[in-house]
Formats: sequence, C-alpha cells, structure tokens
Amino acid sequence: MPASMRALRAGLGLILCLSALSCGGGGANLGPPAPPSPTGNNVVSVIVDAGPLPTTNATVNTLYTSVTVCFPGNATNCQTIDHIEVDTGSYGLRILAPVMNATLNLPVQLASSGNSLVQCTQFVIGYSWGPVVAADVKIGGETASSVPIQAIGDPRFTTVPADCSGTGTAQDTVASFGANGILGVGPFALDCPTCETQVIPGTYYSCTSTTCTGTTVPAASQVANLVTKFAKDNNGTIIQLPSVANAGATTVTGTLTFGIDTQTNNASGTQTVLTVDGNAELIMMFNGATLSQSFIDSGSNGIYVNDSALVACTAMNLTEFYCPANTLTLPVTIQGQNGVMTNNLTFLVGNAQTMLSNPAAANFSAFPLLAGTNPNAQSFDFGLAFFYSRRVATAIEGAVTSAGTGPYVAF
Amino acid sequence: MLIPRSDDLKLGALCSLIFIAALNPGIARAALGEPEASVQTDVARLQASIKASADRGSFRVHEIQLPSGTLLREFVSLDGNVFAVAWNGPYMPNLRQALGRYFDNYVAAAKLNHQDHKHLQINQPDLVVQARGHMRAFSGRAYLPTALPSGFNLGDLQ
Repeated sequence: MPASMRALRAGLGLILCLSALSCGGGGANLGPPAPPSPTGNNVVSVIVDAGPLPTTNATVNTLYTSVTVCFPGNATNCQTIDHIEVDTGSYGLRILAPVMNATLNLPVQLASSGNSLVQCTQFVIGYSWGPVVAADVKIGGETASSVPIQAIGDPRFTTVPADCSGTGTAQDTVASFGANGILGVGPFALDCPTCETQVIPGTYYSCTSTTCTGTTVPAASQVANLVTKFAKDNNGTIIQLPSVANAGATTVTGTLTFGIDTQTNNASGTQTVLTVDGNAELIMMFNGATLSQSFIDSGSNGIYVNDSALVACTAMNLTEFYCPANTLTLPVTIQGQNGVMTNNLTFLVGNAQTMLSNPAAANFSAFPLLAGTNPNAQSFDFGLAFFYSRRVATAIEGAVTSAGTGPYVAF
Repeated sequence: MLIPRSDDLKLGALCSLIFIAALNPGIARAALGEPEASVQTDVARLQASIKASADRGSFRVHEIQLPSGTLLREFVSLDGNVFAVAWNGPYMPNLRQALGRYFDNYVAAAKLNHQDHKHLQINQPDLVVQARGHMRAFSGRAYLPTALPSGFNLGDLQ
C-alpha cells in the first residue's frame, strides 16, 4: 500500500463504524467451505499480510511465501527469503538483490555473446532490471538445481538501456516492488517465448560493464517458471486459501501445493476446468458483455472490471475503486477456451473507502470485497479475492492431468 | 477496439501525414501532445509499421504494429495533434517514445501510485494513464484530458 493510502486511512479514521455488523465482521465469502489444508513435502505455507515493509509500504491482498536459494552445488551457502509474492500472472523467480546476503554471490549467467545476461522484466507499473543468476532453489520439499532466476536491482548493473527504462518506472527496491521477490507460477513455462528467436525491446540484454545490447535467449537460459524445473511435482500448482470475512482480515494463511495428480494430496477430484489461451486469458461474461481479455491472477490485488452501475470512490487515490453504499453480489460467468463455463458464480463488491478507513481494520491486509475499474473494456481481472475460500489449480502448458491438459485453471 | 474496415481507411490521411513528415524532416519529437507528423517519427524510432489509419470524423487513428507484436494506436484530433495513445499486446511499448514530453510526469507519478504489479492509474490535470495486464498481455492508454475532441467517448480509446 502506498503511503498515500495509509495517510488516507489515518485521515478517514474518524469515520466510525456504527456497529460490528456494519464493519462487516461477519459474512461468508464465495463458494463452498474449503477442504482441509494439505500437508506433505510438496506443500509450502503461504500468507497474505502487510508485506516486507508493513509500517511504510503496507500491501493489500498480496500473497507471499518463502524460498531458499543456494549457490549452485553448495548446500551450505544458502539463504531463506520471506515475502516472495506468489503470482499466477507471471513466470519465474525474481528476488530483489539487496535482500540477498553478499556471501550468497550467485553467479551471473552469460548471454550467447559471452557477456552478462541481464533482464528487463516488464510489469504494468514499470520494469525490474537485473542480471540472470543461477541458484539452487528450495521451496518446501521441492528443489530446482542450478536454475536461472533474476536478481533485481543488482548494484553491478546500473546502466539501464533506454528501451527498457522507456517501458515505465523502475521497480527495483523492496519498497517499490512491494515484496522481497516474486515467484511466477502461471500456466506457461517461459516468460518470453518470443525471445528464443527474436530480439524484443525491453526484455533480455547482453551487457558488458558499460553497454547493453538486446539479445535472443534460449529457453534453458530464460527466467522460466520454476515449477517446471522441479524433479517431481512439476506440472502445476494448487493455491488453497480459507474464506475471509467481508470486512477483511489482518492475515490469511493457506497453502501452495506443487504438482497436480502427482501425489495423494494434489489429486484433481471434480472441478471446473477452464483452458486458458496463449496469453493465459479466459472469457468472462459480465453485465451482458463478453470480455475476451480476462484472467484469474493471484498477483492482482483487487477485482478489476468496469460496471457503470457501480459508484466510484471519491477519496483521492481511491478513485479507481468502487464505493457502493451496500455490499453487492454480482454474477459472472467464466468460460475457458475448451468451452467449459462456470455455473452460478458470483462475487462481492464492497465499499473500498469504508474497508480501508475502518479503524478496526487498520492492520488488515486481506480485503475480499475490494474491486475497481479496468482500463481495458474487454477485460475482467479476477485477482486474489478469487482465491479466498477456494482451491485453485493452475496446470502448466502440456501438463496432462486426470482433469485435462494444461494450460488450464481449475477450481 | 479499433477494427478498421477497408472503407474506413483513409489513405489520404496517411499520405498527407507522410507528406507532412517529409516537409519537416527536423521533427524528432514523440507522439502525445505533438503534431500528427510525430506518428511517423514513432514508426521510425520503434522500427514499426503503420498497419491502418482510420478517419473517425472528429478524430483520426493510426495503428502502429510494433515488431514485438504489440499494437500502438495514436489518436489525432482535427487540429492535428496527438491527444491519446493506446496499446495492446504481449509486450509493453516504449512509452518514452509514445508519451513524449509527458513521459517524465508519468514516471514521477507512477512512483506515488503503486498498488500491485498489474494495474496503474494516474490522474493528473493534464495527463491520465491507465494500464493493466500481466506477462504476455499488456494493455493501456494515456490521454490528455484537456485535449480530447468535443464529445469524445473514452470507450473508443482502446
């Protein structure tokens, strides 16, 4: 959360809740009760909390886990890093260089030119610049050996090419990034498939100490989805989170399970299986419109869709969020590329200003009813709120499970 | 979304635009807030090509195909200036080029408005930027609210 929003919270703290109920203390969330949390060596704990900098840069609806990175082949030179964002909307592990111990000294990987391979990772809000380094990565009981990850904000590489910095604002500090790193576990293997054969401006670069040149990168050298690099349980993930009260919660803990149908704790069962397109997107039907550029994304902190019937908030810095007078239950239908459609799916929209200014919620970081506008009229972005009270499986492209063949999202 | 039909295409607009560019070889400024000829500057600098140009009555749209696969659309008002740009595709466009002199405002504002990695909303008196997306699918738009043609529907800005 930006400082401005915290200031907003403080400023609006005088608006008192009239009753516990109006504060939204009760209230069920979407969907049926979640099954018991799985356990096993392929399961790791995840948490929604205020992030790595809770007092200065508190985040909302952001899911984190911990990873252990080691110098390749050296099981004693390791570091466990918390507050790694779990993101089904990207691919690969990226860690802010400043949070890594100097003794870790992960080796920089080389481009085909023989120079250092450095990546410009594009996010909507800006770019993250830093070298591709090799590491042995352990998450729970899973290990990926000598895999490419990105070290964002590495002080050895400070000259950012113009066509990288031209994509936006630098996201190279824990404060600006909102996490110590990000674990991209979306339904594909590569973060830049085109880069295998074509130099794409603002992606991968071959760098000397003074200059960088755009470069192609073979798949094996890309910062790929780490799950595909595991020795086992490598065909997808399952995120399971409990229900969250309508008003929100201070923290929410759940599980990230690796693999689908690879162990007894990650069996498919019966669920809705929605195949995603080549851009990891789905079709969502809302208010009579068919929104073809829609997606389910643990890395989005709200539910973002246009609805002219919903009132926008008036508070500064909240104008893109909705502030309806009463909590609304709205229907949406999600359709996969395989033609499968959801049945009777609804979501809740609450008053963002009330949620975020509720003094009893000053330490809340999970807000299942937080929703806002979407600048793309063809898009419905169903963020982390979708995962509350659900077990959401993400099958990676080519994965063959008892429920279908990836890439798909199932719940 | 702009889906130009062949009878919408106004090659004349494109030709006059190239003509203007030819007359003004010194123009090297980027698009937003700049004359229509800057569209050609963008095309050259981004190593792109104009895929289509359409006359929508109160404004014109030039659709630029970037080599990355992303489409960049530049909206020109009847006074001949670019009042908006929009993008959609697998990679972000070079916004320093597309936003021109407004890019620095954009970068400064973005730092104040961080919410998550997937959304951006900047509301300034002279610049609005809205973007969303994820790896493999980015879209967004930037416009000059004081320069919108009269009666312009923001829904056309895709």
